Amino acid sequence: MAHDLNKSYQFPFEPPSEEDIAFNDNAIPNRPAGVPSSYDEGGSTRWTPDAIAEVQALAQLGRYQVRGYNTFNKRLPTFDDLTFVPATMTRLPLEGYRESCNTTTILGGGTGRVEKPIELKIPVYIASMSFGALSASAKTALGYGASKVGTMTCTGEGGMLDEERQASQCLVYQMTPSRYGVDINHLRQADGFELVMGQGAKPGTGGLLLGMKVSPRVSMMRKLPEGVDQRSTVRHPDFLGADDLAVKIEELRLATDFRIPIFVKIGATRPRYDVAIAAKAGADVVVVDGAEGGTGASPELLLNHTGIPTLSAIKPAREALDECGMTGKVSLVISGGIRSGVDAAKCLALGADAVMIGNAAMIALGCNSPRYEQDYKKLGTSPGACHHCHTGLCPVGITTQDPELEKRVDIAASAERVARFLTAITMEITMLAKSCGKSSVHNLESEDLRALSLEASALTGVKMVGMDKVFAW
Amino acid sequence: MKEVEIIVGRRSIREVNEEIKAAVLSGQSVYVRETLSRHNLGVGLPASAKVRFEGSVGYYCGGLNNGAILEIERNAGWGTGEGMSDGHITINGYAGMATGASMLGGTIHIKGDSGPRCGVAMKGGTIIVEGKLGYQSGFMSHAGRIIALGGAGVSCADALWAGEVWVVGAIESLGVDTKIVEPQPEEVDSVESQLSQYGLEDSSREWQKIVSGERLWYFESREASAWLMI
Repeated sequence: MAHDLNKSYQFPFEPPSEEDIAFNDNAIPNRPAGVPSSYDEGGSTRWTPDAIAEVQALAQLGRYQVRGYNTFNKRLPTFDDLTFVPATMTRLPLEGYRESCNTTTILGGGTGRVEKPIELKIPVYIASMSFGALSASAKTALGYGASKVGTMTCTGEGGMLDEERQASQCLVYQMTPSRYGVDINHLRQADGFELVMGQGAKPGTGGLLLGMKVSPRVSMMRKLPEGVDQRSTVRHPDFLGADDLAVKIEELRLATDFRIPIFVKIGATRPRYDVAIAAKAGADVVVVDGAEGGTGASPELLLNHTGIPTLSAIKPAREALDECGMTGKVSLVISGGIRSGVDAAKCLALGADAVMIGNAAMIALGCNSPRYEQDYKKLGTSPGACHHCHTGLCPVGITTQDPELEKRVDIAASAERVARFLTAITMEITMLAKSCGKSSVHNLESEDLRALSLEASALTGVKMVGMDKVFAW
Repeated sequence: MKEVEIIVGRRSIREVNEEIKAAVLSGQSVYVRETLSRHNLGVGLPASAKVRFEGSVGYYCGGLNNGAILEIERNAGWGTGEGMSDGHITINGYAGMATGASMLGGTIHIKGDSGPRCGVAMKGGTIIVEGKLGYQSGFMSHAGRIIALGGAGVSCADALWAGEVWVVGAIESLGVDTKIVEPQPEEVDSVESQLSQYGLEDSSREWQKIVSGERLWYFESREASAWLMI
C-alpha cells in the first residue's frame, strides 16, 4: 500500500517529551544544542586564542610586537625527519667507543688567498651574538669555553670587547651594515672578518636592541644616544650589489694585509643564488643562517614568518658551490636552530663544512636554567619557556646589561659548561660518523642519511626510507 | 719632507698599497700617479702619512683611514674614507656615493658636490661639502657633523639618530624624523671656525641646522603619525 506523503505521519506510540529528546542528563552541559561548536573551547581555525590575542595586542600597542629568542612557527620541518643509516654489510663501521675520528676543521684555507686560514679542533663554533644583546660576562664565558676546546667565537655587531678578545683564542670580527664599533685597530686584532648581509632570524631587516639594553658602555661602543631603542640599518652604506661587494671584500683584504679569511654571512632566503654570489665576490667562507636562528630582539612577525628553514637551505647552498666550482675552495658554514651533535652531524652530512651554534651555546651558559625562579615569574614566564632576551631582564644575567643581573654569570663555571657541551656534541658527531664508517667527520655524506618524510626527502635530496630513492619532481 | 712617486697604472693594487704604506712608515710623503680611477687605493693607512693621488680615484680610497692626510686631485668614487677613524681627506673634485660612510673621526673636505648618502651611518668626525650635498646624506648617522655650503638634495639627514647636518642654501626636502633648529651663536662660531681652516668662513651665512626629531627613538611612542612616516 503506497503511503501518502502529503499526509502527516504520527508515531504509533506516545510522542516523547522535549526533556527526553534533550537527554536531560547534563552529560555535556557546555555543549548545548543550537550552537555549532562548544561555548567553552571555541573552534575557529582562523580566530584561535593566539590570533585574537594578537589583534588585541596590536590594537592596544599601535605597533608590531617585539621579542627575542627564535621562531615559534610550529610548521617548520626539522632535522628529526632525517635518520642516519650506519654501516652494516656494504660499509664497515669504525669502533664508536675506541677508534679515532678526525674533527679538525679548516675555514678559508681553500682559496689560497689567505695567509692564516682558521683551524679549529672541532667542526662547531659559537655564533655571532653581539655585546649588547649579550652581557660582557656572557661573551667572555663563551670565549673561554670555546678556547678550551679549540674552537672560536664571533664578536657580533656590537664591536670587540677587550675581555672577549682576551678570552677567545680565535675571534671573528663582525661588520654588520650599521658598522657599530667597527674600527681598523680592532679589525687588525681579529682572526677572521665577517661581512654580514643578513641573519636567519630576520633576513632583510637590521638588528634591534631595545633601550633597556643600551647601557652607557653599549652606547659608547655603538655611538648611540643612551637608552634609545636601537634599530640598525639593513643595507650596507657603501656597497649595493654583487660587483661592489667584490670591491669591498678586496678593500677588507687590503686593510688586513691578506692575512685573515673573509666570511660572508647571509640569512637563508635564496641560498642557491646568494651563496653563488658571495663565493664569486671573493668570500673565503659563506655562512648560511636558517630561519630558526636566534636573536636578541626582533619584530615577532619576522621571527615566525620570514626566511627558509635550515634543513632546506643546506642542499641548495652546497649545490651552488658545486656549480661554480667552489667546493673545496670556499667553506660553507650552516647555522640556525642547531640543538645537538645529531643536528650538527646531519648538517655536515648534507654538505656543511662547519656548524655554528648560538642559542644552544647560550643554554649551555645557563639560559633558561631553573634558578632565580621568582625573576622568571616576574617576566611572566618560567625556566624552560623564557624567551625574554629583548627585555634586558634576563634572570640568569646572559642577555642583559644590568650590572646586578650580569653578576649572576659565573664566568668560570659557565665557560666550563660551554666547553663540556662543545665536547659532548663533538662526541655525538664522531659517534655518528664512526657508526657510518667515517674516519673524519667531514666525510659524512648524504648517503649516510635517510628521510623519514617525503617533505624532508624533497628538501634535502636525501633518499626516502623504504623507497630508497630521492623524492623529486 | 721628501716626496716619492708611486705609479699605479695596471699594477696590482696590493703591491701599490704596500709601497704606499712602506713609504709612509718611513716618513716620506707620497705622490700616487696614473691612478686610472682604480679602486681601494690607500686603504687603512697609518697616522702621519701625507699622500696625494693624481687624477681621480675609484671606490674606497682612504677607506678605514687611521690618521693619514690624503688629497685627491680630482673626483672620488664610492665610499671614500669609509670607516675612517682619524686623519684628513681632501677631494678637489666631486665625490661619489657614501663618502665617509660610518666614519668615526677625522675630516673629509669635498670641494665639489657630494654624491648621495654622504656621511651615511657616520659616528663622528666632520664632512665639509663646498657644493651640493647629495640626496639622503646623513642617513641614519649617529654623531659627527656634515656641513654643506651649496644646498642639499632630497631626503636630507633621513632618519638620523643624532649628529648634525648644517646646510646653506636650498634643501630639496628633509628626511623622516628630522627638524631644523635655530643654531646657538657659539655653535655657528664653531662651524665657522672649522670652515676658516679652509678659508671658507663667512659670517653673513644663513645656516639651517638639521637634527633628529627624536620621534623614532623609542618604540613606546604612541604617536601614530611618527610610525606612519616610515
